[in-house]
Amino acid sequence: MKAVVLLSAGIHPRSGAAMPVPVELQAIALARRLGCDVVGIHAGQGGPAVEDCLAHGLDQIILLRIREGDDPLAAITAEIAAQKPDLILAGRRGQGGADSGMLPYLLAKACEMPIAADAVALAVAPEGLAVVQALPRGARRRLVVRLPAVVTVHESAAPALPFVYRDRLSGKIIETSGIAAPAPAFACETRPYRRRPKLIGDAGGSAEERLRAATEQKSAGGKLMVNPEPAEAAAAILDFMRRFQ
Amino acid sequence: MSRIRRDPREELAAATVSLAPRLRIDRAHRGGAALAVAATISAPTRIRLAEPDYLVFSVADAPGGVLSRHDRQVLGAARVLAGHNGAVMLLGATAEDAGPLGADRFMALPGGYEPEAAAALVAAAVQRHAPRHVLFPETADSGDLARRVAALLGEPLFDNVEALSATSVTRPASARRREWRAAPMRLMTIAPDMVAPYHGAPHEVEAFQPVEAPVRRGILAAAPMQVDAAEIPLNQASAVLSAGNGVKDFQGFLQLAHAMRATPGASRVVCDAGLLPRALQVGASGTVLDADVYIAFGISGAPQHLQGIGKVDHVVAVNTDLHAAMIARAELAIIADAQQVLPALLEALRP
Repeated sequence: MKAVVLLSAGIHPRSGAAMPVPVELQAIALARRLGCDVVGIHAGQGGPAVEDCLAHGLDQIILLRIREGDDPLAAITAEIAAQKPDLILAGRRGQGGADSGMLPYLLAKACEMPIAADAVALAVAPEGLAVVQALPRGARRRLVVRLPAVVTVHESAAPALPFVYRDRLSGKIIETSGIAAPAPAFACETRPYRRRPKLIGDAGGSAEERLRAATEQKSAGGKLMVNPEPAEAAAAILDFMRRFQ
Repeated sequence: MSRIRRDPREELAAATVSLAPRLRIDRAHRGGAALAVAATISAPTRIRLAEPDYLVFSVADAPGGVLSRHDRQVLGAARVLAGHNGAVMLLGATAEDAGPLGADRFMALPGGYEPEAAAALVAAAVQRHAPRHVLFPETADSGDLARRVAALLGEPLFDNVEALSATSVTRPASARRREWRAAPMRLMTIAPDMVAPYHGAPHEVEAFQPVEAPVRRGILAAAPMQVDAAEIPLNQASAVLSAGNGVKDFQGFLQLAHAMRATPGASRVVCDAGLLPRALQVGASGTVLDADVYIAFGISGAPQHLQGIGKVDHVVAVNTDLHAAMIARAELAIIADAQQVLPALLEALRP
């Protein structure tokens, strides 16, 4: 099976230094574990963030050179049409650009492929690809997706393959010029990120209610059993669990 | 809704007890002007928007068929954008309690996990009703749905909105080093715990017929999987069974956690003694939980431990000390030896 991993030029959230996006490295590991021939595709300027992916299990990266600020969708769509992979893997969100997670969806629509989100494990199934999807609270869901498909990878997938310096030296980067497509105009102002306070409690009314919800100690005022028989206590706990789960 | 203005001079005059021989003002006196205007507020009536100027869609995740806390916040955001003359249409599996949360219209989406069908339905509804804004919660399933709808409509998505007003929205970008601020866009997803839910007068909800839409299915099957609770990371677990100094038999404790389908946790004392791995420690220096149910066996409840369970809704405590802080925190408090209740519970769960 032939797989393509979409790579983006990530940055480190603290220092801003160029680095690969961790979830894309996990995607490479997932594809390797599935036994695919894996190729990385990056549309942009390249750089150390993309080259470092070679050290984490990629043999080859196709670098589609487009100008900074151009829309990578057209270049990647044309390359996918030429490569005809069975599986396209991407991280669920980028880290360093818009970070909106839209590109896999737009690519799936342009290539007329189904898309499955938040994979943590992949396996070959008779009808296509079995995907284990991560859900909140550690829950999992099993999907079967028709191939060829786009699959985005979740952060709780198995960790990336370790960095191997020799592979970084021996891996190949094939550089071609991508299709120039100006990104759609997006009227917005950018400024340094400011962390905003999260809402506490469910109160949203007056300031007094919010203060009370934030400061008052939660006293449940529930049931108290003093020195019950162990069996009686066990029954009470099980009854409580059944009510709230 | 206009706010009632206070007249500070009138309040001062009402609070003035005497002018001579010296000025005396009784500020603790709760009467006068403020109370007089409060009495004029009438009982809330249901707001009915028969002919709104425009629509704002609010798509609900509704896990388990109930509007979640996040869904309420998205409805609150939709209410902010709708203002006085816009109507909020809730799209989801349930319309229960939607009126008090600010919804004016309701369109049913099919329950269950069918992201392709749901995306086609939402996109068709957007094309039919031409809403000014469509808001989704930024959760696993609804975030996926929002991106599918954006791709179907070929419109940009302003995702993960962390600050919202009627005139501007803000989202993080560039690995949370920058943020983008723009006028509210058509398709947006709202980050959790950032926008307050609606607390005004209740609205009247009118049901709308869903729109038919053809679907091409690429996801052939979907089924939830059974997950071993012990493998779920502690900060994501929904039920946690925790052991403290009152527990002696840790093999039995782990068996009980498995039988109860709860994730095992521990207090600092137990982890320090090396009786359970450090990864299981609950509290300020361990993991801060976000669970629904927490069962504390033999834990007295040090302040640092109680910090770790601050967000937990339902707490059960088994402890020998009636005056322990954990007993005060618990909804079901059992004064007994944890080491005796533990085998009884295992026995009760045995098939």
